[in-house]
Amino acid sequence: MAKRLFSVLTCLVFLFILGVGGAGAVTDGKIVIGHPACLSGKFAKAGEQATGGIKAIVKWVNEVYGGVSVGGKKLKLEYKYYDCESKKESVTSLLERLITVDKVDFTFAPYSSGLTLAGAPIAEKYGVIYMDHGGASDKIFKQGFTYIVQTIGPGSRYHEGTLDMLHKYAPNDKKLALVYEDSEFARAVMDGAREHAKKLGYEIVYEATYPKGVSDLTPLLSALKAKKPDIIIGGGHFVDGQLFNRQLADLDINPKALSLIAAATLPAFYDALGNLAEGVMGPSHWEYGVTYSEKAAKKAGLEWIGPSQDEFVKLFKEAVGKDIIPDYHAAEAGAAVLALVKGIEKAGSLDQDKVRKALGELKFMSFYGTWDIDETGKQVGHSMVDVQWQNGKRVIVWPEDAATGKLVYPMPTFAEKAKGKKALPK
Amino acid sequence: MKAKKYLPFIPVFVAYLALFLIGETVSGIWQLIAMLAFYCALGQAFNLFMGMTGYVDFGYVAFLGVGTYGMAITISKLYSHGLGFGLIAIGFALAIVMSVLLSLAVGAVALRLRGAYFAIATIGVNEGFRYLIEGAKLWNGSEGIIFSGPLRMAFGRQTATVLTTFAADVFVFIIALAAAFITLVYMRGKVGYALTALREDEDAAKVMGINVTKYKIIAFITSAALAGLLGASAWALKLTYVYPPDVFEITYTVEAIIIVLLGGAGTLLGPIVGGLVYGLSKYLLAIILPGFQLLIFAPVIIFIIVTFPEGLVGFVKLKTRGTWLENYIV
Amino acid sequence: MVGHQLAGNLIQGLILGAVYGMATMGLSLIFGVLKVVNVGHGAFMMVGAFLALSTFKLLGLPPVLAVPVAFIVGMLLGFIFYRVAIKKLIKGPELSSLLATFAFGIILEEVVKLIYGSEHRGYNWALGKFSLGVTVVPYTKLIAFVGSILVAVLLYVWFNRTKAGKALRSVVEDSEGARVCGINVEWEYALSFAIGLGLTVSSGVLLTLFIPVGINPYMGGHYTLKAFVIAVLGGLESPYGAFFGGLIFGLIENGSYLLFSSFPSLEPFAMTRFFSFVMLLIILLIRPEGLLKTK
Repeated sequence: MAKRLFSVLTCLVFLFILGVGGAGAVTDGKIVIGHPACLSGKFAKAGEQATGGIKAIVKWVNEVYGGVSVGGKKLKLEYKYYDCESKKESVTSLLERLITVDKVDFTFAPYSSGLTLAGAPIAEKYGVIYMDHGGASDKIFKQGFTYIVQTIGPGSRYHEGTLDMLHKYAPNDKKLALVYEDSEFARAVMDGAREHAKKLGYEIVYEATYPKGVSDLTPLLSALKAKKPDIIIGGGHFVDGQLFNRQLADLDINPKALSLIAAATLPAFYDALGNLAEGVMGPSHWEYGVTYSEKAAKKAGLEWIGPSQDEFVKLFKEAVGKDIIPDYHAAEAGAAVLALVKGIEKAGSLDQDKVRKALGELKFMSFYGTWDIDETGKQVGHSMVDVQWQNGKRVIVWPEDAATGKLVYPMPTFAEKAKGKKALPK
Repeated sequence: MKAKKYLPFIPVFVAYLALFLIGETVSGIWQLIAMLAFYCALGQAFNLFMGMTGYVDFGYVAFLGVGTYGMAITISKLYSHGLGFGLIAIGFALAIVMSVLLSLAVGAVALRLRGAYFAIATIGVNEGFRYLIEGAKLWNGSEGIIFSGPLRMAFGRQTATVLTTFAADVFVFIIALAAAFITLVYMRGKVGYALTALREDEDAAKVMGINVTKYKIIAFITSAALAGLLGASAWALKLTYVYPPDVFEITYTVEAIIIVLLGGAGTLLGPIVGGLVYGLSKYLLAIILPGFQLLIFAPVIIFIIVTFPEGLVGFVKLKTRGTWLENYIV
Repeated sequence: MVGHQLAGNLIQGLILGAVYGMATMGLSLIFGVLKVVNVGHGAFMMVGAFLALSTFKLLGLPPVLAVPVAFIVGMLLGFIFYRVAIKKLIKGPELSSLLATFAFGIILEEVVKLIYGSEHRGYNWALGKFSLGVTVVPYTKLIAFVGSILVAVLLYVWFNRTKAGKALRSVVEDSEGARVCGINVEWEYALSFAIGLGLTVSSGVLLTLFIPVGINPYMGGHYTLKAFVIAVLGGLESPYGAFFGGLIFGLIENGSYLLFSSFPSLEPFAMTRFFSFVMLLIILLIRPEGLLKTK
């Protein structure tokens, strides 16, 4: 029996040594990026995309770009990530391990505003740059953190472009309904949209929120139906967006335009809803088909770095080992790597403060679009595009200079769509 | 004879001290140690009630949640008043007050129920409370409170960093030790005697004239207050933000149950062993097999619980009965 | 106008409630017979949802055909998990089985994630819809409604009219007595665990008929919570009680929305959730044996 006790203890000690050890990797001759990624748990989907995007760009930097030039030397990039299970406890411990045991040079934040905030104090403590690729809250940047740098755009502007576009296409359809998820992020979008709508002279006929994890929106939608809005904008995340669209169809509510954040631009949205998604729109940080290119950069007077869009898609598919088109989660994480590379080269050193300063002054274009931060680290250069599902494809309809097609307005009714009608421009 | 009662505290103290010293001396693992300490403290505080009474409070995380809010509200409202470290003290005080008040309310309703009815009633309280915060827009509703900035303004950059990345974790250690000590005091005193009777047979205990309700409530409130403190340090002070869905996440209750059952419910050392096994194996798997760790982790849990149904410490306790170790392993 | 909306909401709530109710029957059965709380409940429903999805998307068959398949899959899982862990744990300390069911849930989620990835999926089985004046109901929802009632009735008949069912019932009422009467209690335990999971997995199929989107490995979590509440409404140990508990829950959730939306400072949806949990507590206080138990 003492033997059993002993073996239990030995096991514990062994586990412990394993946890503590794993000796620090010496990082001579390369630059290591550390990332407590969300590969399981509630953000697993976004996490898979983000790690794929980072892997793709790291490969591009090493093989095509030839490495990061610092002080006359070309340094290779290396990407090291762990799975934080979308949990705040794991974020702090894994991030510290990356910084101190694995001695990574720069860090990436996990997905979501909450988890990004959870890791921020650790990055601050060690004075390591912390690239925020999936935390859209404006509030992160009002807390006085120094080393956090955002690539995703702030939430408040998500639906501005959509309203500008609809205002131009249909200046007389002014009955607007706002229906968003009750979360910090979606509320920021909603507040931004409400303000912008008032400026454009929209009449807000219905405004409501629904909690995270809702499984049935029927009572809200039947109240909405009674208001007969021309345009519905709203949403929150992936699941509720699908549910929203589906139940609008179930209850035969037919707005002339429907735009949902986050969900509507993802391929899974059309895959899940089929024809019912025809004509539905969504604002997106990035979409396959955007027209950012080396040429466009030259025209705008900006530096260009990174692969072309098609190269990126190819690299991404190799990185994840699946034939899927990357979505904006992958693109923004990849673009954050490019920003870091640019920042290091500009600083000519791996010193955190010098790189942070260089990032502050940096402005460039990549396949993801323009990148520019303000003094708090908040992304201000990136602008969004609006996408509409037309005949099973995502067509960029706004802004006009990035558009790949024309808006279909009004979108077909759900009854027409159920019979197979597509949203095709006349 | 009296001192002998407290002998079992020695291994507990040594374990936490060793954990603390390892964290202090080996560079780069403080946050890991902090996470382990959090799991141990969570188990220890949870065990105080569940281990002794056999009641499983599924809504336990709500006490951590309101504790988190206690600290968050204090810092975000009072940071500009120049209270110095009094601000933290007020935060902890408010955390205790709020968690105790909630435990009184929950206790009044749920402690009349037994077994699974109690467990589910407490789930109801946890979920109901979360939706009340979001629905009635209490304390900023779903937008939560982010108070990194206020904390920095109150203490300066340097001190704020120390508070979030070190002091908050030290508080967790203190809470874990306190929880263990109180557990021992209760175990060896009247409370333990009454609650053991209750766990064996609640009705018989009542007939014997033991005021079961009184002792149940004492253990419940103590456990809740410790949870409030734990929330205030490990979630508020350490992470400096609070969103309602994050702090009322029922997974944490489940984790607390797992830790206690892994180590052995009602044992003093159980939560430490359970917390270490749980925390370390998750951490290691996350490093070795990122993305697949849960697939390994779940069968391991099943294996442990099937092999040691009374928990690891419970198993050792049975085996060491009658030897000199008996005095230390409780 | 408001009356219209209320009536519409209640009809939708009734349909959803039937699905909820059917989804909870397995949970109550397992608790009633084995005193095992299945915290992995939602994960088993998720398996059913994926079966429905695959039936429609891969085989091109109506997803409702997945119900019997799901029942068999659930029973198989039930027998395996019973053999691996539950058998030993029901004799162990109270609630140690809870750890095992939690771990089963994780295993299912992670295995499904390995196969299907973590994307949110859905399918579009369009059968048209009919109008009830106050609201519109797609035929798929009607199938979910009828299917749920049918399963509940079948279970009732099996329990009360067949020999095997009666044997199981005697175990629920008095396991010692049943043992004396020569019933193999061990087998009845395994059987009821398997049937319980069979019901749970098939309810996942029916759920997707009501909501055919948002299908992903981690979708189960909040259905577990809802099922707990519904189970208590129905008296926790009775599968039929659970079915009616589900109906009531659906009605409350959808019916109270209008009430709360008349207060502009409230977030009405969250308040309906709050309200249903308050109801739960009140019922537990005044009728801890459940709202519907007559005994």
